[in-house]
Amino acid sequence: MIFSLSGKNILVTGASSGIGRQIAIACSAMNARVILLGRNQERLDETLASLQDPALHLRYSADLLEYDKVESIIKDATGKTGKIHGVVNCAGISTTLPLRVINMNKMADLFHTNVFSAINLTKIVCKPAYIADDGASIIFISSVMSVVGEAGKTLYGMTKGALVAASKSLAIELAPRKIRVNCISPGVVVTPMSKSSFYSQNENTLNQIRSLHPLGLGRVEDIANPCVFLLSDEAGWITGTNLFVDGGYTAR
Amino acid sequence: MEERIKNAFQKALEVEDKEIKLTDQFRDYEEWDSLGQLSLIAILDEDFGVEIESDDFNEIITVGDLLKAVQKRS
Repeated sequence: MIFSLSGKNILVTGASSGIGRQIAIACSAMNARVILLGRNQERLDETLASLQDPALHLRYSADLLEYDKVESIIKDATGKTGKIHGVVNCAGISTTLPLRVINMNKMADLFHTNVFSAINLTKIVCKPAYIADDGASIIFISSVMSVVGEAGKTLYGMTKGALVAASKSLAIELAPRKIRVNCISPGVVVTPMSKSSFYSQNENTLNQIRSLHPLGLGRVEDIANPCVFLLSDEAGWITGTNLFVDGGYTAR
Repeated sequence: MEERIKNAFQKALEVEDKEIKLTDQFRDYEEWDSLGQLSLIAILDEDFGVEIESDDFNEIITVGDLLKAVQKRS
């Protein structure tokens, strides 16, 4: 059995680096046509160049927080590729902020970036004009922090938990249209974002984080591969799940 | 700027009544811990627009050193 994405148009946000980039690469390797969304045009072009048959795919440099501009992108993309069969909501940022320095602005910023932008995009893509008539697969990249905690991860965990909660109701609401909605919750994956995190800058804290993952820290491929599965028809009876891909982090 | 840096320490360590001196080696504060450090870094970023890399921060010993580091970057 091969989890082919042949004939499918897959939209990936946060595609300019890290996990999102690898998801785009994996989708193209499984013969999907990929629509890349990301903020940084140069890095988005690097992603595009690393896809199989780059000319086949589309890329849009966009800030998903400009909510009103998203639909024009989706309209343009689907005008070129046809309707969308899958979305991977990967755009997001991480923070490590103790409670004492959390404030309303930081809460609002993180919810806009990690939650509202993904729900807004999903809302638009799920319009009958843009989503494939025979169903689709929507994925939100959440985090193990959606269900477990670490000091300083209150705000980040709130946003990732919100995605899990949203995905479950969306799964019910969209099931009659054969649109499946799932989350993938990674543990710590080695990416440019995690490398710039506080815990990566100190060998002791990095070792501590590493020790929490019985299988070691993740690679971007470890997240991209289950994404391909959830996007494929072989996952056709899976909806409303939160798949932990965490090297055993939550097994304890 | 000196007062703002002292306030940043008070806020980061949640010790609003503590007297902060430029010569203090802040890692010796009883209240200093990793959450305090994270808080201080977040405050420097938000209130001063200053980002200090971990390696550079490790070389900062006193409150006065931090003041100079912030002045240099702002």
